[in-house]
Amino acid sequence: MEFESPDNREGGADAILNLEPNSSISIAYHQCFGPHDNLMLLEVDEKLLTDILHERASLRGQPDEDAVLCTQSKTYSIKFVGTSNSVFLIPPSDQFVLDGNLQECGKKDSDEMKVASVIKVAPGNMELVEVAPRLDKLKLLLSQNPYNINDTFEIDELDSIGEDKSGLYTWDNLVSRIQASDTELRSGLESLLAVEINGYWRILEENYKDGVLNMLLHNMVLNDWSPNALSEHEVISVLKVDGYPSEIAQHCLQIYGNKVDEGIGDNCIWRLDERRVCVHFARRILEGGKMKMERFMEEWVRKVPDGMHPTVDMLEGEILTEKLGIETWIYSFSISSLPFSPAERFSILFRERPKWEWKDLQPYVRSDFVYFSSAFFNTLHYSVFTSIHGKRLHVSLLPTSRDLKVPGLTSEGLLLKYTRRTQPTMDAEPVFCAR
Amino acid sequence: MEIKVKCSCGEGKCPEWAIVELQGVVEAQSSFQDCLQNLQIGVLCRPSSQENYTLTVGYHELMGAKVPLKKPMLVLKKLKVPDEEEKDGDSSSSSRVEMDVIGIIRHKILFKTRPKALISKPQPIVKEKVGSSNPIMPN
Repeated sequence: MEFESPDNREGGADAILNLEPNSSISIAYHQCFGPHDNLMLLEVDEKLLTDILHERASLRGQPDEDAVLCTQSKTYSIKFVGTSNSVFLIPPSDQFVLDGNLQECGKKDSDEMKVASVIKVAPGNMELVEVAPRLDKLKLLLSQNPYNINDTFEIDELDSIGEDKSGLYTWDNLVSRIQASDTELRSGLESLLAVEINGYWRILEENYKDGVLNMLLHNMVLNDWSPNALSEHEVISVLKVDGYPSEIAQHCLQIYGNKVDEGIGDNCIWRLDERRVCVHFARRILEGGKMKMERFMEEWVRKVPDGMHPTVDMLEGEILTEKLGIETWIYSFSISSLPFSPAERFSILFRERPKWEWKDLQPYVRSDFVYFSSAFFNTLHYSVFTSIHGKRLHVSLLPTSRDLKVPGLTSEGLLLKYTRRTQPTMDAEPVFCAR
Repeated sequence: MEIKVKCSCGEGKCPEWAIVELQGVVEAQSSFQDCLQNLQIGVLCRPSSQENYTLTVGYHELMGAKVPLKKPMLVLKKLKVPDEEEKDGDSSSSSRVEMDVIGIIRHKILFKTRPKALISKPQPIVKEKVGSSNPIMPN
């Protein structure tokens, strides 16, 4: 499509942008002038520009979704902004040149004035707004077919998994279905504790996860392993004997432990994370429903491995308590069951409880945009939210990947948007209800 | 579905396009409505070394200036590429969409004033000559 210009008077964009003082140029409709719906204008930041020009950006979405633009690490929604002005788009002279013999429509001026030709009148342009990745769908997809004991057997029977791949997603499948950047998708998978097995991203069925952890703990006792120094190789080979594939054993260490050091060769040393192991058992216990606090604590202490000391503050973001008469009851309300999107999350929160005290609400509404240190927050507890605007302290509350991700909105911004805050007296705890 | 945004020109070499923007709509005379190609819209003139411009459309003159865009604008072209791995059944529907960056816009020449009628402009020369001597009447 790019040939020599058939008309040497054609100056194109260049002639407009570099028009000499005291000179003129004719503006005309291009010989290919038309609606050109396939030409679009996209306004971008300088920093995004580099990403796009280096082909590190893509549009993602299903036909029924509004497309988003993703860079490596961020997601942007695309907004069309119309204009009532006439925006004449003028390409360089060597673009959009058809065969020279196009029949001529308009008459040409006889003078020798240079011409710049308008290819289309742009009705507006697209703008990008950074948005949270749309990760709720990810959980939905992965929950269709969680990994369980049957999968383990199928691996042995060669190729039998080839039969039924419904509800199974490879990385590429997910990229084409989830509106999130690669980095955000990865951290979404991490927060769902998903693992890649035989090319498919899976989450483990709760019972299965429980089985692996118990097998690991059982083997720790049998083999006299220290919970602070688990050899990855040993764990994998022993769990394999018990019927757990190595990816699963490795994943189990990742879910319930932290890497201590790289160890020798490719072997790594892991330490069990007391909190995560305790939380696992608390969840299992509370699966049965609401319990009296005392009974729950008794059972919890009994269930966790020896040497671990469960305390209720480990369960932040996992449980809620309520007082019925003099009894305190505890029940499961896990942040991992809440949606990422703030509107939906707040609606579920207020369905659960019409009124929330700050200490209960706080774990569920943290935004990863800015964290307040809890100490800092306590000192300013009784002041008005907006007065702490601007003073931002970073990471101090445990940031979790289930935090709300709303670009440009801080925790207090979220609260202002979705809650109504009341405080009967100056020294009373503030209470939040739905807006 | 993932559509890669491509840039065949490469960074730094992305050709610069221009925008001439004015308020309202330019309407061609009805005899030209269906045949706008190659028709002159007006004449852009830079009367001095400053970045001020005039655009003369018919009897009207617009005053404007060259302004840098706050953020650059990319010209994207949507292409339908036939999919290589066509399946026999529905070869017609199997095309892939590609987005190609074909240009970048950093400046526009913006005319935000209402047009001034050239005819009513006081001229030092004899009045009756103005109408006929106007050289930039389109066709």
